[in-house]
Amino acid sequence: MIRFLPLVLKNVFRKKTRSVLTIASILLPLFVICILGTLLAALDADPSGGKGMFRLTVRHRISITNFLPEAYLPKIRQLPGVKEVTVMNWFGGKYVDNSAKNFFARFAIDPEPFLRVFDEATVVEGSTAEWMNDRSGLMVGQVLMGKYGWRLGQQITLKGDIFPGIYTFTIRAVFKGADESGVYFDRRVLEEAVPRFKGLVGLFWIKCDSVQTVERLPKEIDAMFENSPYPTKTETEKEFQNSWVSMLGNVRLLITSITTIIVLVILLIAANTMAMSARERVTEIAVLRTLGFQRGTILGLVLGESVLLSLFGGFLGVALFVLSFPGFKQGMLSSPMGGFAAGMRLFPGILALGFGITLLVGLLSGLVPAIRSAQRPIADGLRQVG
Amino acid sequence: MESTEPSPQPRPPLIQVQSVVKKYTRDTQVLTVLDGLSLTVDAGDFVALMGPSGSGKTTLLNLIAGIDRPTSGRVLVGADEVSAMSESALAKWRSRHVGFIFQLYNLVPVLTAYENVELPLLLTPLSRAQRRKQVELALSIVGLSDRMDHTPRQLSGGQEQRVAIARAIGTDPTLLVADEPTGDLDARSGEEILVLLERLNDEFHKTIVMVTHDPKAAAKAHRLVHLDKGVLEEDVRAAGSGG
Ligand SMILES: Nc1ncnc2c1ncn2[C@@H]1O[C@H](COP(=O)(O)OP(=O)(O)OP(=O)(O)O)[C@@H](O)[C@H]1O
Ligand SMILES: [Mg+2]
Repeated sequence: MIRFLPLVLKNVFRKKTRSVLTIASILLPLFVICILGTLLAALDADPSGGKGMFRLTVRHRISITNFLPEAYLPKIRQLPGVKEVTVMNWFGGKYVDNSAKNFFARFAIDPEPFLRVFDEATVVEGSTAEWMNDRSGLMVGQVLMGKYGWRLGQQITLKGDIFPGIYTFTIRAVFKGADESGVYFDRRVLEEAVPRFKGLVGLFWIKCDSVQTVERLPKEIDAMFENSPYPTKTETEKEFQNSWVSMLGNVRLLITSITTIIVLVILLIAANTMAMSARERVTEIAVLRTLGFQRGTILGLVLGESVLLSLFGGFLGVALFVLSFPGFKQGMLSSPMGGFAAGMRLFPGILALGFGITLLVGLLSGLVPAIRSAQRPIADGLRQVG
Repeated sequence: MESTEPSPQPRPPLIQVQSVVKKYTRDTQVLTVLDGLSLTVDAGDFVALMGPSGSGKTTLLNLIAGIDRPTSGRVLVGADEVSAMSESALAKWRSRHVGFIFQLYNLVPVLTAYENVELPLLLTPLSRAQRRKQVELALSIVGLSDRMDHTPRQLSGGQEQRVAIARAIGTDPTLLVADEPTGDLDARSGEEILVLLERLNDEFHKTIVMVTHDPKAAAKAHRLVHLDKGVLEEDVRAAGSGG
């Protein structure tokens, strides 16, 4: 079959304009599919490098905006299997203004336990000691540093809404490894500024000693506070993060549907091209068969042509995506979706999916014309004018 | 394709068409194109097949060349019963034993002259170098060695037909079938093609069956067969032409 490759290649580019248009109409959708697929994969990706599977979150059963009493902290900490617990309070507030591009995660936490819970975070600038020694010290994710071009020692002012007031922090440490698009500071800052919030906790974040503990604890903890005025909902870190995602609407379903529709559309376009080019070549194919080309060979030639055409588009689409990825990710990181964008990388699975889709489109679009071409009686094909 | 002296003793018939019937069914209508037709063609002969449009010339040629199968009757070429072969056996047989020349040349437009001639050779186990030898030989026979890299669009009609002839003889088949090979050519180019066919018959002993409307073309043949209303009407040895 390899000796027919030059013929197949020449046939692919027989009608240059049409081939280029078809390739473009595969290339661009494929580029979009890669983007959507990467977003979807980033939602599933685990930026903690597997550490997240040892972590649980505890929040008020009603919603994330209801507080739990700090008194739960020692009760949770003494449970068997619990290695560490940190308080995490969602600060909200605003930086500069309320625009989406200035949105990032801001958490008030207990510094020491926090570092032990998120032990995959490594400090790349400044130090944890400097951060902990300065009550108004700020620890900032590396991505966020890059986005704003902040420097170590720079002062950052946040305006509170849940916790009223104006807070000025000094950047003391820059970390990477955990959610790099957020900032973290000592929660005592808030308690001192707004005393009525003292003893109130939005989230407990637990690090467990084993996966078995992770499975066992949620029921145990929720049962423990079942009949209190502050019932809890304990879930894995993953579940917690995904509940945020589902708050954005059913993103996953949306992305999957869009991708499916795109695939169907490029399938139709490619099928149309292949049908046209096979129709134009009825006589030519009859001549090839007259010369002794077997039905199977004709089938292979037409299929090979549609697969090659599709793969050209697919390859260029994936290449375009790979080339533009760094810029695209940078753009995503500075957007309100920054939290998800942090998990974005060139997933080999998504690139493979891109090629898989192209291959499938090539095969399916060529199948009907290929079978038709191979089945048409030679004498009929020779009679056809054109 | 080597040139040998013609042997003096009569050769056995190469083609035997025996009581062939060919019917086409369209909807409920049955059209009988060939009605119990018989014909023998000797090896090394050059036969011109004439007849009005729609008389079944192409149909008969297709049956002889193993492109189509008769409704009933038998077609034998050499020792092979063409009318009884399977689809894929026929394809193989055609590639080995028959060269085709069409009215509209039917070259593959995206391929060069060289590649067009090489096309049927791709189906053989020949190596690239062996194929090259065959292609170059075939193109030199038709006098187009200097046009190997030209695509059909860069060639005149007469040159295209010569490339088509080179393609037909590249695998060194015993039988050449031609369906109005000069039908689309001006007188001069047509004459060149006929001279070439004569030479292939003479020098290379190809048996040729040629459908034509042109009496001048028919005159080049050694034998003239007339087909009308599905039956062989005349079978006259053309006097004074070569044979
Ligand atoms: N596949 C087919 N289905 C139905 N009828 C057909 C088919 N092929 C040929 N015919 C009919 O058979 C008859 C003979 O056709 P054929 O092509 O053999 O004629 P011909 O002698 O070669 O004519 P021409 O000189 O115009 O080429 C015609 O009436 C044609 O319409
Ligand atoms: Mg005809």
